Amino acid sequence: MSDKQTAARSLERGRARWGWIFVAPGLLFFSVFSFYPILNAFYTSFFNKKLLSLKAPKFVGVQNYAKVVASPDFWNSVRATFTFALGAFVPLFLLSLIFAVLISSRRRFKRAAQMALYSPAVLSSAVAALIWLLVFDPRGLANQFVNWIAGTPGIDRKWLADATMVQISTIIVYVWKYVGYFTILFITGIGKIPQSVNEAALIDGAGPLQRFFRITLPLLRPTTVLVSVMILIQCLKTFSTQYLFTQRGAPIGPVNVLTLNIYNTALRDQNLGRASVMSVLLFLFMLFLSWAQLRFSRSEEAEL
Amino acid sequence: MKKIGSAAALRLMSFASNAFAWLFIGAFAILVLVPLVFMAGASLMPPAEIMKMPYDWIPHEWKWSNYYQALAGNDGSWIYLRNIFNSLVVSLSIAFTTVLLSALVGYGLAKFDFKGKNAVFMAIMATMMIPFETVMIPLYMIAVKLGLQDSYAGLILPFLMNAFGVFLMRQYLITFPSEILDAARIDGCSEPRIFREVVFKNSGPAAATLAILAFRQQWDNLLWPLLIAQREEMKTIPAYIVKFAAEKNADEGAMMAVAAIASIPVFALFFTLSKYFLGGSAVYSAGKE
Repeated sequence: MSDKQTAARSLERGRARWGWIFVAPGLLFFSVFSFYPILNAFYTSFFNKKLLSLKAPKFVGVQNYAKVVASPDFWNSVRATFTFALGAFVPLFLLSLIFAVLISSRRRFKRAAQMALYSPAVLSSAVAALIWLLVFDPRGLANQFVNWIAGTPGIDRKWLADATMVQISTIIVYVWKYVGYFTILFITGIGKIPQSVNEAALIDGAGPLQRFFRITLPLLRPTTVLVSVMILIQCLKTFSTQYLFTQRGAPIGPVNVLTLNIYNTALRDQNLGRASVMSVLLFLFMLFLSWAQLRFSRSEEAEL
Repeated sequence: MKKIGSAAALRLMSFASNAFAWLFIGAFAILVLVPLVFMAGASLMPPAEIMKMPYDWIPHEWKWSNYYQALAGNDGSWIYLRNIFNSLVVSLSIAFTTVLLSALVGYGLAKFDFKGKNAVFMAIMATMMIPFETVMIPLYMIAVKLGLQDSYAGLILPFLMNAFGVFLMRQYLITFPSEILDAARIDGCSEPRIFREVVFKNSGPAAATLAILAFRQQWDNLLWPLLIAQREEMKTIPAYIVKFAAEKNADEGAMMAVAAIASIPVFALFFTLSKYFLGGSAVYSAGKE
């Protein structure tokens, strides 16, 4: 082996060492704040553990899981979570796609339109919930607006009191807050579609609807899949609106989403085992969603 | 003749579709902005005006004292000022550490070759799948054991950095020319100094995007401060908002003033640096693809 080669070898080894040194803070951080906690959540879900209790936790096997799965309270939370997620998904997806297509094909004021739609996303969720708390007041703007449109003065729609209405209310807050955010993701996706394809279709005499369904939509599929999964995952994590509304006296049953239930089970009932079971189930479901997205986008590549 | 007619028809159609599109966008933009205008207006009204039917958008009696009451609190403790300060400390610290640590790790992953590098990268990326709700209880237990409740360390530590930041910095630094790094090495620059002087100083756009993203996320964070900060003086803005709103005799005007004050810093950022906000989400989507 020549000297040159040995020198190169040792230089490489030195460089490798620096690589480890640079990533070390990351390894340390994620071990302590991600990997250990997730393993701990799985572990705790098999124990009977009370928050801040000094007694040694008792191993109970899958009993926590059995109890959670048998409890109507858990299934109510599953129902609340999915009603919310799907109820917010459909309008969020459709509106942000429509806005993105309309804004992308405008010549002027694109940025102003984007900024206007995006501005609620800048607010913190607690502020958003606070504003809508007043809008949904019996004497508030929501009643006045709906009654003005429907021509039915003086009717109270019970936005925060009625079981169905309070679910609709939380969905409205969410759609309002995030529609601009997802619009911008779609606009970015549309921007990646080559102009030439659209121009060719235009020359061939394709109308706007035809161009949307035959060109934009198929070519946008990677973005569509990505945004769908992002919307769903984000909706599953909703917490602030439900928390603040129920703190102000809205009925908890209809909007007791999983995150709220986990928080209350851990903090109010101090039942960590049960809370861990629910958080593990939530994690597994989100993992499944991400996996589905990966599979979808993979099969996409295979097709192309 | 026929040709000219069809051209005019085409122009008319494109004008009509343009007008229709703007009508649609405009109507929704107004709907989206109404609650924000409501917040600003109501923050200067007495409760009777906020709940008036029909509602008047402009205050009749400009009640600036709402802002005084928002800051002083219903009990006159002025704790909101402290909570705003806490939010600033926490969000700014996290924005800074996220950028610095993500740049370090991202640089290590982008520009060095070592065995197990891909495994490290995949492991870090996998943490993106973990929802905070799943790990918050174990994290809380750790914090309790370390005695970190009601402390800045407790509020900050779990968010020092995140996987998305590492991803963003790695993608950005991969395109950084290696020749410049090698030139610096030949000049006898040490690796830490190369990172500090060459890499970190040149990661501007990615660092700015990431800093704003991290700042906003923390400004919005409610769940963790709710768990970790029990004492009033260690709460952050979102936790204060929840508490203020839950008080029975909360004045609606003061509530909107609380909300408006909480929104001023993020809106100031949004209007001055809108390109990073709009571009930031774009970066995010590009990253996820």
